[in-house]
Amino acid sequence: MRRGVAISLKIPDNTAYTALVALRRLDVAVEHIERSDIYFFDDGGDVEMLKQRIESDERIFNPNKHRLAILDSEKPGPGELWIEPLCHPERFDYAQHRLHRRVTGWRLYDAKNRPVGHSVLAVAAERLLCNPAIDRPIMEDRAG
Amino acid sequence: MSGRIAVLVFPGTNSEDETVRLLRDCGGDAELVHWSEAQHLAEYDAFVLSGGFAYEDRVRAGAIAAHDRMMDHVVAAAAKGKPVFGICNGAQILLEAGLVPGTGPTRKPTAAFTKNAPEPHFVCRHVHLKLAVEPSRSAITAALPPGTLVPAWAAHVEGRLAATQEHLDEIVAGDHLAFVYAHPDGRVDAAAIPNGSALGCAGLVNRAGNVLAIMPHPERDGWNFNHLERREGNDALAPSGGASIFRSFVQAVA
Repeated sequence: MRRGVAISLKIPDNTAYTALVALRRLDVAVEHIERSDIYFFDDGGDVEMLKQRIESDERIFNPNKHRLAILDSEKPGPGELWIEPLCHPERFDYAQHRLHRRVTGWRLYDAKNRPVGHSVLAVAAERLLCNPAIDRPIMEDRAG
Repeated sequence: MSGRIAVLVFPGTNSEDETVRLLRDCGGDAELVHWSEAQHLAEYDAFVLSGGFAYEDRVRAGAIAAHDRMMDHVVAAAAKGKPVFGICNGAQILLEAGLVPGTGPTRKPTAAFTKNAPEPHFVCRHVHLKLAVEPSRSAITAALPPGTLVPAWAAHVEGRLAATQEHLDEIVAGDHLAFVYAHPDGRVDAAAIPNGSALGCAGLVNRAGNVLAIMPHPERDGWNFNHLERREGNDALAPSGGASIFRSFVQAVA
């Protein structure tokens, strides 16, 4: 089955900080941002093997600066905005673990450290995080 | 003497010195203006955004710089008709700012110079840009002969024009495709395109013709010392080099 693997920095994320400063300048009500690169691979029925292969190969994961999390859903959660390229020039696999999809995951928090709502995510996407010529924004279903 | 030209320096810009030097060698009154000096930009008559990696290309190439305070001045100046010229990362910033092709609202990009294709790898290749519009279409190209070839170096990972089909159609219909990639003899075909760019695009111009964005670097083929056909007199401008477009820009500012 397809399995999401989120790779984020455990050292300070300068890109997330820069995005935070820019969004606040653009009057987006956000207090804190986290960012991750999310890959969807075939897990080959063995998610531990997938994880081991990624962790032992430094193409997308560096143990000195990254942390890895296995996702249990292929949809963003509350406060999350996924930016997916409209075309995927990058293709790579780990043995039988084929890469299907790659997105950049942004998680935005408000001043009370709560995930921001749908409207704030939409504004953040429109003003900075998504260029609709090359990306599409994906958010949690409003009903979900 | 031309009007005053500001060459913008964002954190991460790296081609500003040769850009200023070539502008001056072409008769321009050019100066560097750093991001901390944005308040002075109102004093200038024209603006050049040079190559590099503004804000480390964080989020997307050009995305953060497009919302920098310096760009507030550039957007206002462009609306008044002042010439604005972006090269490589400067071109990416102009697209992210929505100034070119300028088919949508400002700060709402309708196109991007994005990752090369078919391989998303860095390209470093000598190329030729062919003027694909009437020279008078843009004040910045007005002094160039029709069909001019400008030699330059493509040096980028993200130089492929990408947009929805609707916006690509608008680019063609609105005569925004200012430069295409060509062979040294002027032929235009897929083999001349180094990066998979849609429409073979190497440069875009806005509706009014005062904002031009090109991906390759003509300033890296400006003097004899960096021209492919090297001649004696290293510091002289190469007669068939990339200075032609800088000269035309300087004339637009005069």
